[in-house]
Amino acid sequence: MSMDPVALEILRNALTATAAEMDVTVWRTSRSTVVRELLDYSTAVFDRDGQNVAQAARIPQHLNSMGAGLLTVLRDHLPVEQWEDGDVVITNDPYCGGQHIPDILAFRPVFVDGARVGIVGTLCHHLDMGGMAAGSYAAAATEVFQEGLRIPPLKLVRRGALNEDILAMMRQNVRRPDMLWGDLQAQLASLAVGEANLQRLAARTGVEAFVSACTQMLDGSERAMRAMIARIPDGRYEFEDFLDDDGISPDPIRIHAAVEVRGEEIIIDLSGCGRQAVGPINATLASSQSAISYAVMAVADTEIPANAGCYRPIRTIAPEGLIVNARHPAPVANRVAVSHRLATTILGALHQAIPGRVPAAYYGVSYVCSFQTIGEDGERGVLVEIEVGGSGAYADGDGLSAYTFGMHNNSNIPAEMIESEMPLTVVGYGLVPGSGGAGRHRGGLGLFREWRIDSPEAIFTANLERFKHRPYGLEGGEPGREGRLFIIRDGEREAMGSKVNNLRLKRGDIVRLETSGGGGYGDPATRTAEARARDAALGYA
Amino acid sequence: MEPFIRIGIDIGGTFTDLQILDERNGALRSLKTPTTPEDPSIGLLTGITQAAQRFGFTLGDIRLLLHGTTIATNAVLERKLARGVLLTTAGFEDVLEIGRHGRRDVYGLRPHQEPPLIPRDRRLGLPERMRADGGVEIPLAEGAVDALLPRLDALGAEAVAVCLLHAHVNPAHEQRVAERLRALRPGLPVSLSSEISPEIREYERSSTTVLNALLMPVVGHYLDRLSGRMAEAGLKARLLLVQSNGGVCSAEVAKRQPARLLLSGPSGGALATLRMAETLGRPNLLGVDMGGTSYDVCVVRDGAVTQMTQGEIDHLPVRLPMVEIRTIGSGGGSLAAVDEAGRLRVGPRSAGSRPGPVCYGRGGMEPAVTDANVALGRLDPRFFLGGAMALDRTGASGAIATRIGAPLGLGMEQAAEGMLAVTDTNLAAAARLSLFEKGLDPRDFSLLSFGGAGGLHAVPVAEELGITEVVFPSDASTFSAFGILHSDIVHDLARSRVMPLDSAAMPWIEETAAALRAQGEALLAADGVPEEDRRFTVAADLRYRGQAFELVVPWPDLPELDALLAGFHALHAQRFSYANPGAPVELVALRMSVTGLLPPVHAERAAGLGAERVPEPREIWLSGAWRRIPVHQREQVTSPIAGPALIEEEYTTIFLAEGWRCAPGPAGALIAQRMMQEAA
Repeated sequence: MSMDPVALEILRNALTATAAEMDVTVWRTSRSTVVRELLDYSTAVFDRDGQNVAQAARIPQHLNSMGAGLLTVLRDHLPVEQWEDGDVVITNDPYCGGQHIPDILAFRPVFVDGARVGIVGTLCHHLDMGGMAAGSYAAAATEVFQEGLRIPPLKLVRRGALNEDILAMMRQNVRRPDMLWGDLQAQLASLAVGEANLQRLAARTGVEAFVSACTQMLDGSERAMRAMIARIPDGRYEFEDFLDDDGISPDPIRIHAAVEVRGEEIIIDLSGCGRQAVGPINATLASSQSAISYAVMAVADTEIPANAGCYRPIRTIAPEGLIVNARHPAPVANRVAVSHRLATTILGALHQAIPGRVPAAYYGVSYVCSFQTIGEDGERGVLVEIEVGGSGAYADGDGLSAYTFGMHNNSNIPAEMIESEMPLTVVGYGLVPGSGGAGRHRGGLGLFREWRIDSPEAIFTANLERFKHRPYGLEGGEPGREGRLFIIRDGEREAMGSKVNNLRLKRGDIVRLETSGGGGYGDPATRTAEARARDAALGYA
Repeated sequence: MEPFIRIGIDIGGTFTDLQILDERNGALRSLKTPTTPEDPSIGLLTGITQAAQRFGFTLGDIRLLLHGTTIATNAVLERKLARGVLLTTAGFEDVLEIGRHGRRDVYGLRPHQEPPLIPRDRRLGLPERMRADGGVEIPLAEGAVDALLPRLDALGAEAVAVCLLHAHVNPAHEQRVAERLRALRPGLPVSLSSEISPEIREYERSSTTVLNALLMPVVGHYLDRLSGRMAEAGLKARLLLVQSNGGVCSAEVAKRQPARLLLSGPSGGALATLRMAETLGRPNLLGVDMGGTSYDVCVVRDGAVTQMTQGEIDHLPVRLPMVEIRTIGSGGGSLAAVDEAGRLRVGPRSAGSRPGPVCYGRGGMEPAVTDANVALGRLDPRFFLGGAMALDRTGASGAIATRIGAPLGLGMEQAAEGMLAVTDTNLAAAARLSLFEKGLDPRDFSLLSFGGAGGLHAVPVAEELGITEVVFPSDASTFSAFGILHSDIVHDLARSRVMPLDSAAMPWIEETAAALRAQGEALLAADGVPEEDRRFTVAADLRYRGQAFELVVPWPDLPELDALLAGFHALHAQRFSYANPGAPVELVALRMSVTGLLPPVHAERAAGLGAERVPEPREIWLSGAWRRIPVHQREQVTSPIAGPALIEEEYTTIFLAEGWRCAPGPAGALIAQRMMQEAA
């Protein structure tokens, strides 16, 4: 029996509110700056079979991945029949439903009167999960084993009892066990909040009605998605873009998508992508599907409630062994690079189908830099920064400067906070003039940030992109400026590649990052005089 | 005779509300007059003059004028601000434009990025650098400000904001910049980050300082005009302005720190909620204000309004203590629609007042929440705004039937009832989240409903939240002015410094507390507050090491460190469901709230005019059927009545659901309570 549309909408809002309350709980209770200031976490509610029905969306990269991750766990590792009241199942293993080692997924089944009514989940990017580089971002890794501690899907909490042995084992293998435990506690608190909410809602509607209402929501979003796709002209649209390299060999890596729109369905054929890389720039299929989901959802011309139903009309072809569907034990720390490029590639293909709706390419990389400072007494501090660049210009306007776009959505860390906590000085932070791609409409500007080492020693690692292959322009617009990285020592400035692994730095050294700008849109010759004058006055050009 | 009249004024978008207290006998009266947006001081004077004529006093009898104003808020919303220049540490000129990155619209290709209030060509860097511990790394060169002067002049600066790194720890450089600017360009407004918001996090501090600087000329001119008009009219009353923190301040403080007025409007409602909590003896009260476009929620807990250390206006952060108010875009004008997934949505789009809901008959085509209330008989189309505006019930029903009912396969009545149910759950979710964030349970609260649209939704929202008591204050439409009448003078002071909280921190803490106390004494002395009426409360912003957001922990027994730590762990456990007593704790800021008590108010509502109207019972749609239910005129409710019923007054209608009863309470309030479930 189906729930009436009013009751259904009320339940949908309540499920979304549940995810929001879980989100507030993580935000307010976590310990590390990655979670608290960078906001690198998400929360979601799933139906009893693990289909995502509601989420507190912060980071597109997390969304469908939490859903895909949960389904992998249920299918291959821990069948849902084995989940008991009071259990918490966690994993961070990229080959068991995770995406990369720092992200711990945690799920809790919710029971009412002995019946499972749903599952609640959280995903947090942890400060450090061990491995060969601080922050578990090892640019030189060639196997996932080097990237940190892998936790297969297991019950950290069994029927309400924390498994102290597993926790001790985890703490022993990470650089900041206090932070790991703090953020894990935030995840557990969030799951408890989600559980209480779901129990209240299911008790009110009745278990059966609750379960069937979840199905209705999924079906409703599927219908809306199909209607949206049907409005895109049928055809096969191809586009390619490139990743710079894997940090081991200098060869570029091709990302190619053939997007076939056929009636109410979309088939994304990724067979033309490059083979999996030796370095850590690989993605599991779950990760790639996040990028696909994002790109297709992003071009929707109506607002569609995001849930697992949205993804049903999308089919993916991605043979194993390619960079978008890596085979164990390929390293995956920088999987987000593949996601960014996959998103811009699919958007580039969709531009041909629906010109005017898609902007030029955004900066297209999470500019992740990590510092490990080593004090006189050997004390270590860890800082992970994730920076952004310019977004692509639109058919009717300039791109946004230094603003999150696409696959990730983080906040930056205040310089004053860093300097209060670490022997580091932020020397400067600003826009990079001229970095936006020229066009009738200009791409957004990238930014620069400079860090000075104030400890006797420090170790620096970076996993960057868009140093060689710039964010594309559209309709005659020029690409945005490439990203750049410099080490400044004793006044000498040395340009670095996009991948830096465990570089030893000493007191006084300065690291300067310049992020890529967005692509331009339309012929630069047609840019209006007013727009040019404004760029000149504000120092944007 | 000594002046004896105290007036609370709340200037809203449509009406200027006054509550007038005769301090001799406590008689309280209210009055509404149209707002004059081009210069709100005109409407204000009109209201006062009308009040004097109607209630029999002279302008010279007025002792105190407590003024809630949206002048600062509106200037920001409309971007009618001064042309400003921002001075920063060299290398950080773009912090204001870069912001904190995070976007709210995750999926879309068009995220909203707020353009900076001061564009790039008017942000200038100074060669100087402070360290996080207050040490000087690069001294500010003699002549650095002088060197900037030609550019400052060329840019046509009307106000200057100064935000240098770590100025909250060591303001010496900012102070030297200000001294030099004041010497070189006397009369040019200058705002220092170390004065308006001495707290860590450079972007939030910059944003606050810039808002403050750009508002200085706006608020300054308004207050000059107002005092001019007051002098002309022979009004010698003392003028105090309502701040975002619920306290009032002198005009001098408001001119210097106008950013403190940004949430002046809603804080009146919060103050009124607090006052009702005291009057009714309900320490936990959830105040909800529902108007045409928005729903504001505030929380009174253990007899105090919850405050926060940072808010925002139009996506711009304001790092100043303020009354905590959660606002969602849901009101009588919220529009309903069915999307292509067959989903019934209500809001956040709003019909506003033009064209307004369909029933206004001003060309609105899409049904709004008010239309659903009219269509189902809950609102009397002949008695809207006391009959001042007739509503088109047929039009409302028709729009609901065709635009909502038909696509959902529902009759008009079911569709309208559905719109209300979705609205009520949205409102309840916002209220729940407000409590939830603080680890509070709605069932421990009573609901206080005010604002024109609130009365029809309050009881259903309470049911949704599990709240069993709803309070409807008298004069709900001038309720904020009532709150303003009860303000005290408040100065919020703070010093920020990140350090481990242990005995080694005590010298800094005690020295800082003493400095804040001295500053507070000086401020209250300037306000003319006698020593016996001065109150000082201390709190510390604390967190576990590594956390990036802090809890404000009251510290009445400074310097007892153990008491503070125990308070922190307890508060953390209550709000976040866990505590870590063994973990290291960091101090981020020390706060002092400095209060100057105004003489207390003893108000007795003067006898109301008592409407003579005797409404007829009428048919309303309720739980699937049309039912004839009694309708009462509020002034005539003198004994308990049982739901279902409607209670009408000039500006609002109250819906009392089945299973609820309502009776007159203290201070003219009506109190609705859920009746105990009777055994079947």
